[in-house]
Amino acid sequence: MNLILFIFIVLLGFTSYYFGRKKAYTIQSTNKRLTALPQFYGYYLAIWCAIPAFIIYSLWAIFEPTIVKLLILSDYANQGYLDDELNLIYEKTKALSRGQFTGEVTSFIQTSSEKYLNLRSIAQSSKVVIVLCIIIASVAYAYKRISSNNRTREPVEKFFKAVLFTASLAAILTTVGIVFSLIFQTVDFFKVIPLFDFVFGTHWYPAKAFVRDSSEALDPSMYSDTFGAVPIFAGTFFIAFIAMCVAIPIGLMSGIYLAEYASYKVRQYAKPLIEILAGIPTVVYGFFAALTVGPFLKDIGTAMGLEVSAESALAAGGVMGIMIIPFISSLSDDVITSVPQSLRDGSYAMGATKSETIKKVIFPAALPGIVGSILLGVSRAIGETMIVVMASGLAANLTLNPLESTSTITAQIVVILIGDQAFGDPKTQAAFALGMTLFLVTLSLNIFALRVVKKYREKYE
Amino acid sequence: MKRNGVKMIKINSKNVDVFYGKKQALFNINLDIEENQVTALIGPSGCGKSTFLRCLNRMNDVIDICKVQGQIIINNFDINDKSCDVVRLREKIGMVFQKPNPFPKTIYENVSYGPTIHGMAQSKSEMDEIVETSLKKAALWEEIKDRLHEPGTGLSGGQQQRLCIARAISVKPEVILMDEPCSALDPIATAQIEELIDELKKDHTIIIVTHSMAQAARVSQNTGFFHLGELIEHGSTDKIFKNPENKRTQDYITGRFG
Amino acid sequence: MNKNKEKLLNSRYRTEKRFQFYGKSAIFLALLFLTIFIFKIFSTGYTAFQKTWLIVPVTFDAETMYLDENPSKEDLEDADYFDLALQTMFDLDKSASEKQQNDLKKMVSYFFEREIKRELLNDPSLIGKTKDVYLTASDDLDQVFKGNYPRDLPEDQRRVTDYQLKIFDQLVEQGRVESKFNLSFFTYPDSREAELAGIASSFMGSIFSILVCLVIAFPVAVLAAIYLEEFAPKNRFTDFIEVNINNLAAVPSIVFGLLGLGILLAVFQLPRSTPLVGGITLSLMTLPTIIIACRASLKAVPPSIREAALAMGASRMQTTMHHTVPLSMPGTLSGTIIGLAQALGETAPLILIGMVAFVNTIPGSPLDPAASLPVQIYIWAESAERGFVEKVSACIMVLLGFLILMNLFAQIIRHKFEKKWS
Ligand SMILES: Nc1ncnc2c1ncn2[C@@H]1O[C@H](COP(=O)(O)OP(=O)(O)O)[C@@H](O)[C@H]1O
Ligand SMILES: [Mg+2]
Repeated sequence: MNLILFIFIVLLGFTSYYFGRKKAYTIQSTNKRLTALPQFYGYYLAIWCAIPAFIIYSLWAIFEPTIVKLLILSDYANQGYLDDELNLIYEKTKALSRGQFTGEVTSFIQTSSEKYLNLRSIAQSSKVVIVLCIIIASVAYAYKRISSNNRTREPVEKFFKAVLFTASLAAILTTVGIVFSLIFQTVDFFKVIPLFDFVFGTHWYPAKAFVRDSSEALDPSMYSDTFGAVPIFAGTFFIAFIAMCVAIPIGLMSGIYLAEYASYKVRQYAKPLIEILAGIPTVVYGFFAALTVGPFLKDIGTAMGLEVSAESALAAGGVMGIMIIPFISSLSDDVITSVPQSLRDGSYAMGATKSETIKKVIFPAALPGIVGSILLGVSRAIGETMIVVMASGLAANLTLNPLESTSTITAQIVVILIGDQAFGDPKTQAAFALGMTLFLVTLSLNIFALRVVKKYREKYE
Repeated sequence: MKRNGVKMIKINSKNVDVFYGKKQALFNINLDIEENQVTALIGPSGCGKSTFLRCLNRMNDVIDICKVQGQIIINNFDINDKSCDVVRLREKIGMVFQKPNPFPKTIYENVSYGPTIHGMAQSKSEMDEIVETSLKKAALWEEIKDRLHEPGTGLSGGQQQRLCIARAISVKPEVILMDEPCSALDPIATAQIEELIDELKKDHTIIIVTHSMAQAARVSQNTGFFHLGELIEHGSTDKIFKNPENKRTQDYITGRFG
Repeated sequence: MNKNKEKLLNSRYRTEKRFQFYGKSAIFLALLFLTIFIFKIFSTGYTAFQKTWLIVPVTFDAETMYLDENPSKEDLEDADYFDLALQTMFDLDKSASEKQQNDLKKMVSYFFEREIKRELLNDPSLIGKTKDVYLTASDDLDQVFKGNYPRDLPEDQRRVTDYQLKIFDQLVEQGRVESKFNLSFFTYPDSREAELAGIASSFMGSIFSILVCLVIAFPVAVLAAIYLEEFAPKNRFTDFIEVNINNLAAVPSIVFGLLGLGILLAVFQLPRSTPLVGGITLSLMTLPTIIIACRASLKAVPPSIREAALAMGASRMQTTMHHTVPLSMPGTLSGTIIGLAQALGETAPLILIGMVAFVNTIPGSPLDPAASLPVQIYIWAESAERGFVEKVSACIMVLLGFLILMNLFAQIIRHKFEKKWS
């Protein structure tokens, strides 16, 4: 039904476009000057058809369910039902009307469901009638306006511009969406677990929080010493640190080599090849770390008489470092290439060798940009998920030994949320609180790094 | 300068051809540069003056597609020879560029850069001395002696260019190449630099590219005129300006093209 | 003095050499990692494209199938093949003990019943006759046959028993074991049994997610980019949008997963585990990438073209829509494809919105529960069974294949259609 109506409205839109244009030609044939190209007359009518339809559709979508629910539940008013029970009744009614109800059907619900179907069909038909009436009215009004050869281009272009503007809000909406999705659960979490315990506690055993009968009331004392996030913060930064120890020297040196030394040919092949490393999905790195690197390090360790966990921080961090190499290398390559040639010339003309020029002139000049790109790499390392989920441990050990296993923020979020979640459970909320922390940390890193890089760019533009 | 009535030749270029990829930029250049004199290279833009200048300290090596053929002999030594060491060559032949290009470092570091990499100072005080004399020679000392440790990029255009000259002379080069050193400067800064050039020619051989004929006439003793990659005419500045042999030189000098 | 100078110069040249060596080593290391990586994936994965079959003589005995004389097509459909199938396996060794019979049964996949049934349905005249039928070998034997599984371990550390190996070796000797192209890897959905697991369900899941992502992200991103590049006034607000976009591009993907979980599933009540939700989540992630690419290629259109159109009396909107946007399309499209390739490889957000659920049906629409290729890799990689290791690698090969294709495609668009402004 909805689909048919939709198609019908679209057809109406096209028809109005056609009529608008035709009208324009008629006006033209009377030797009057048009205020715009004929298609604008068409667009004008089509827009007058689309906007009201869209508005009514949205209003309907928002209000219909609420109104129907109110009407249905009015039958149950004053009978001493609790809100929860009323909701349940309504859900049952809906399920029965859709024929998806499995359970005992009481006569109450049977009646309600019939009423529900009835209401829905009334709503449907009235929607069709109202939508069509209003569209026709508004198109007629618009048609009258263009008949008197009013301006059409400006309103049409204004409309398009408004559409463009709305689209550009998508980025802001996404950010708002992220904040909203995180904030409520996080706030609830900190109602149960004091912020202090979360930030300074050293024991993280979210599994403990799950041993709870859902009928029991929340007892905050149960969670003391359960959600202390220090071990996973430490683990996160530790693994990121290991990753950067691999990525910075290799990435930076290859960036420098590509920018300053490599011949055109080498650059042409080596650069895209290294960038392949950035295109490999992280789950593949995770598999590689868990299946190849972890056991390999363990074997080496055993041969040297060291105790190495198969899920060592070294394996996860090392592989993560490999993943980040191309980011550092291509960003620093860009940054170095944008150092003006005149500085290089100045140094060479003094009789400096290439490496002296790089170390003493180019590198200091490019430093802000390089620092920015390294910070972006760090942010990536902190936010990286699949490698740690697959290759590092799931138990949050507080350790600084790279041969032991640790866990990270991202790994804990996945571990907690991978099954079915109950919203309202402190464990689930903990995952969101971790997500919030991750978002804030990476956000500040990114803002800072992007600003540094931007400043740097402007300097040499 | 004449010793025993003989011109002392510092640089002697024979049959120099330069190519950028397939495009030939210089054709068979034969030009001798006299010691402790200022030689000006003039000609319409794109005629290859900079290219020739950059041949003299092998700065064209930096450009991948650039190929130089022929001989350029300095101190009886062909700098295009394989055995020539560009680092040592460039220590002996300094360069000042069209746009002032101080390093994004302090004034002091800018001047001490060359002496540091070439290991010319054994101690801090020796280095201080080199920096001071270089800045003095570049006529910049008085203006900036109190802000030696401020960034060189904060100076005015003319000061920056003199800083670059100080940087170039800090390693006591025998030759200084200048590629339109005043084109980015105002007339007062230009006059200061011209004065400086006159001073510097006592200790250094100077080759200056300029698009201003007045400047060439003011500062140089010898002049070479380039056109479309060829060296059309060269000789003493007096002669080139007053009595050119070639018609194209005459047209250019009198402003008929270029 | 001169001697010192010589020494200094030499040491300077040595430093230069060393520095260059570091640079070369860095490149070498990066490329080495890449090589090891690809080698490892290929060497463990290529065997998954082969599948081991046992060729077993089946006597289609009507009695064992409880069939009457002259059964109709429906009778054949409904007949009980399990006993027949079991009997077939037991017949491999008539003297097998009960425990050994159990071993025999486990030498093939639990699809053996269906495979026998299919044979008979194809040719009903087989009743009462004996025919060699191809049965999928169990994943453990499959691995043994491919040489991925060490035979010399003590028996209690092996998943195949000595007895199974003995029978299997006899079959090999009789030429009754064959390795053929593993078509079912591409046509079967996921399964708990490695020998039957395929990527069809996750592949379709990926396709649907990417389509949803494209349908949402592309138009919004292009419109947004047009606004920001061509119309937006330079003010605080548009700066804010710009900062937002750049930051979103660097927000960790798992945060988008939390967004999907906390808003799309919890607030909008969209169906869990579906490519629809996956696609929407991915589209939010891809949006900034496409916006940035589109803006860059709009920016690359020289102002002279806009000026020319404006000077002809075209409005800003007309100039943009008729000239600037079409000229920027190659760059935008290739940026979009690259963004989609990133989305195709994304795992973490999909896990959070429940696309890790075990799905053993092939989804027919974005509203059916599904996994995606990278999630499938994760699921299989977490399985203990040996047979899944090669599957993971093979799945990675398929995924990488797609990514390479997409990137090539983006390159081609860029190089073939993009105008070079100079
Ligand atoms: N890096 C380069 N690549 C290609 N061609 C160049 C390069 N530098 C200069 N040329 C060409 O060489 C010719 C001479 O240039 P140049 O020496 O800079 O001229 P001038 O300094 O006299 O103005 C010009 O035609 C120019 O186009
Ligand atoms: Mg020049």
